Amino acid sequence: MTEVIRLESVHKRFGGVVVADDINLSLAKGEILGLIGPNGAGKTSLFNLISGVVPLDAGRIFLGGRRIDRMPLYRRARAGVSRTWQHMRLFHTMTTMDNMLVAPRVCHGESLTRVLFSPGATSREQKDLRERARRLLRRLELDDVTDKLVSELPFGQQKLIGLARALMHGGDCLLLDEPMAGVEGRVYETMQSVVREEATAGRAVCVVEHNISFIKDLCNRAVFMANGRIVQTGTVDELLGSSVLAELYFGA
Amino acid sequence: MDYIYSILVLAGIYLALSASFDLIIGYGGLISIAHPIFYAIGAYTAGLLAVSWHVPALPATLCGGVLAMIASVAMSLPAIRVAGDYLLIASIGFQLGLLQVIKNVQFTGGDAGLSNIPSAIDGPFRSHVFAAISLVLGLAVVLLIRWIVRGPYGAIITAMRDDELALLALGRNVTRIKVVILALGSGLAGCAGGVYTFYYQYLNPSQFDVLQSATILTMVVVGGMGTSLGPMIGTVLLLGLPQAITFLHLPPSIMAPFQGILFCLLVLLFIQLRPQGIIAARRPQT
Repeated sequence: MTEVIRLESVHKRFGGVVVADDINLSLAKGEILGLIGPNGAGKTSLFNLISGVVPLDAGRIFLGGRRIDRMPLYRRARAGVSRTWQHMRLFHTMTTMDNMLVAPRVCHGESLTRVLFSPGATSREQKDLRERARRLLRRLELDDVTDKLVSELPFGQQKLIGLARALMHGGDCLLLDEPMAGVEGRVYETMQSVVREEATAGRAVCVVEHNISFIKDLCNRAVFMANGRIVQTGTVDELLGSSVLAELYFGA
Repeated sequence: MDYIYSILVLAGIYLALSASFDLIIGYGGLISIAHPIFYAIGAYTAGLLAVSWHVPALPATLCGGVLAMIASVAMSLPAIRVAGDYLLIASIGFQLGLLQVIKNVQFTGGDAGLSNIPSAIDGPFRSHVFAAISLVLGLAVVLLIRWIVRGPYGAIITAMRDDELALLALGRNVTRIKVVILALGSGLAGCAGGVYTFYYQYLNPSQFDVLQSATILTMVVVGGMGTSLGPMIGTVLLLGLPQAITFLHLPPSIMAPFQGILFCLLVLLFIQLRPQGIIAARRPQT
């Protein structure tokens, strides 16, 4: 299996709190890795370290063999780290479509000189992007909210738009931060099938999730974290059977 | 009649200034007070090129715009790299410091100002032509900005104001976007400076002080931040109001402070009663 992302002895502490203590992890193409653990275990912090929201204290991160841990946030995103956020962080004054259009890894609209001096090429690119966004929104059953303001949509749909935006970004490594929190019913099904399809299409997916059944249905492998450390790695069933996990997770 | 044309020239210049400032503060959400200094850089560059090297008006004005653009990058790049909030502080330093430089070096004419600037246009219709040029510039700036903010770049600017971190995590270089917005706005202000130079043929540093910043900001706030019509309405209102009061025939000693009080009142009223300005932007207030 082709490796997409690899973390080598990643360390991070905030003051006296260690959020990442010697984290070694690797994700292959097509893999869906579940990241579980109690609140404060360092799961979201790990996502922030990988995507570059916070810098590492020590360690290295490779994406497709390329070292990315010294790149700023936006460069890592361009290199291929796509992520969602626990609190979605949608562009709330914009429509669903506009949220999608600013998202691609390579975004020609970002260059003002290009927008000003080759308007023809820009509008062709925008047209292609719109088409791609429409296809994605259709897959996530969001086609009827394409032109609606995202802040006016129900929570579940906003959650899906967060995923759609990350897919529009299109990095090889997809980090999903609690995609299921507060989500139920149809959205749940859609979310699960789309994540599975994306993995099959060749992305490496890592999911932070408290919903164990979601992890169980979806993940090939899971990592159990506590206090900034990886306590155990294995299949979801192995982890659920582990006494360490039961003790830490359920406080038994 | 010349009086009316001179007001039209000013209207065009202020329209260019307020619209370009609206791009920075209204659309970009970048707080800077240094807009007058870029206007000054454009004006002085054009004036000095014309006086010292006899450069024709159009290239001299464009050079002024380009230099204002470069100067804005010198101001914003270091400030924004550290953190967005430092931009305001950097802009205050830049505005006050550079104006002192203009006042105290010889080649700008210092406190006495720069005079003997050649007139680019002569003849009986000089004022008419300048009024037309100035208004065309003002409208061109409004339309250019309107076109930019409605296109893909505008979507990115809006996204940046909504959630900078989320936009960074999608690979957009937010620092560069901010620097570019400031450079474009400042460059347009510089071009407005060039028109001022060739119309008045005389430059004085006091015309570019921090009070100008307040005037331009008032135009944008009263008209409506983040709208293309707002700066137009703000400019007409704030240029028209002082003219309207002159018909009251108040003695000059009362006139000047009265104008100041009126401007302050307007700003205070608008901030309290209608913070979105006369024209409200088509987006939910947050």
